[in-house]
Amino acid sequence: MVENELAVLREIRRIVSQELEWEGEVEPTHHLLKDLQLDSMGLTVLAVELENHFRIRLSAEDSVGVNTVGDLMRLVATRAAGEPRAAAGGAP
Amino acid sequence: MNSASGQDSLPVIRAVERMLPPHYARQDQIIGALRELWATRHYNLERLEDLHRSVRVDGRFLALPIERYPGLVTFQQRNDAWIQVATDLGEQVVRKALDRAGLTPQDVDHVFFVTVTGIATPSIEARLMNRLGMRPDMKRTPIFGLGCVAGAAGTARASDYLRAWKGHTALLISVELCSLTLQREDLSIPNIIASGLFGDGAACVVLRGGECPDAGPRVVATRSVMYPNTERIMGWDVVDTGFKVVLSAKVPQLAREFIRRDVDGFLAEHGLTREDVKHWVAHTGGPKVLQSFEEALELPPEALARSWASLREVGNLSSASVLFVLGEMLESGEARPGDWGVMMAMGPGFCAELVLLRW
Repeated sequence: MVENELAVLREIRRIVSQELEWEGEVEPTHHLLKDLQLDSMGLTVLAVELENHFRIRLSAEDSVGVNTVGDLMRLVATRAAGEPRAAAGGAP
Repeated sequence: MNSASGQDSLPVIRAVERMLPPHYARQDQIIGALRELWATRHYNLERLEDLHRSVRVDGRFLALPIERYPGLVTFQQRNDAWIQVATDLGEQVVRKALDRAGLTPQDVDHVFFVTVTGIATPSIEARLMNRLGMRPDMKRTPIFGLGCVAGAAGTARASDYLRAWKGHTALLISVELCSLTLQREDLSIPNIIASGLFGDGAACVVLRGGECPDAGPRVVATRSVMYPNTERIMGWDVVDTGFKVVLSAKVPQLAREFIRRDVDGFLAEHGLTREDVKHWVAHTGGPKVLQSFEEALELPPEALARSWASLREVGNLSSASVLFVLGEMLESGEARPGDWGVMMAMGPGFCAELVLLRW
């Protein structure tokens, strides 16, 4: 697991526990819907917080094939590496 | 089986009126007003705009002109505005409802006032007694906190009262000014969704006891249902700046899981099934809640058309919404003598209230 993916995992764990009040473990093999029991609001909160933290945009097309925490880690890490960060405090 | 035996002694819904505040804002105007604020925390604003549009609301009628909201910073400022507009709107809707019923303020024996968007002591219905010149012996029951379920629950509680006082007249007044609860500094996703969904409005139902010679649907029975350990599904966290919304995506899921069981059980106690119900008067909730109702109850495509239209035109008005739908339904003249109807709403608790109507 590369460093960027670990950073994403840490952020996913923070969001899921702090923002979504999930008390269980969060591992890359966990299914977002089945294991973490995320509903549409939960998925939206997760996506928005990842976008805010890593200054990226995730689209509906991006979500195709994203089923597990590991899938999401790889997607966000790739996108964060490829998309330049916006200026601090800057809006798109 | 037919529950209509002795139906003439049951409370009757004599009239329903609705009132909207005068300041209309299209959804894109509201998005425009909030966009800069969202940008202070969020990166992908297009996603938030999509969320606002996904609630399928075209626009809302607001208690105040949209440019006045940024100036309302403290709880006191918001609540003071709420008291003023709630009293004005309440007065207008009561006058219209009593006119429609052919009654005067002096005819009213008991007022049930429901809201979840502001607080006042003396409560709003006390202020209306002075404005409308109601009788000094009129009884008052202000109810705060039932939220979206209060339109149906208020109808049920007023009917309970009229079962004991068969010659009396009761009003149910609902005033909800959701826009005045908006916590601008709360940039959480539930609050952003709420800021896209909820609107302002007031409704008044005139109900009369079975001894009164009135036409209209009778309240045959009511049912309250509480879902255990669901306190964080919907509600307010009361914070220094007012009411911070608690809104879980589990609301549609709960509706899907339980409404069928509860409706079927309630109807069965009266020898009825869903096929016997001709008119469904559903709280507008949001698109997913309405879809859950349709799917769980296997309703025909047009069964909730009025709820969908109300959602689109004015947004979710909390407790007033189901009364708006009821008012539209009565005004249509669609119901025929003998028709059964079910009024239903869900709200904080988490809970549901069902009201069985017969024309």
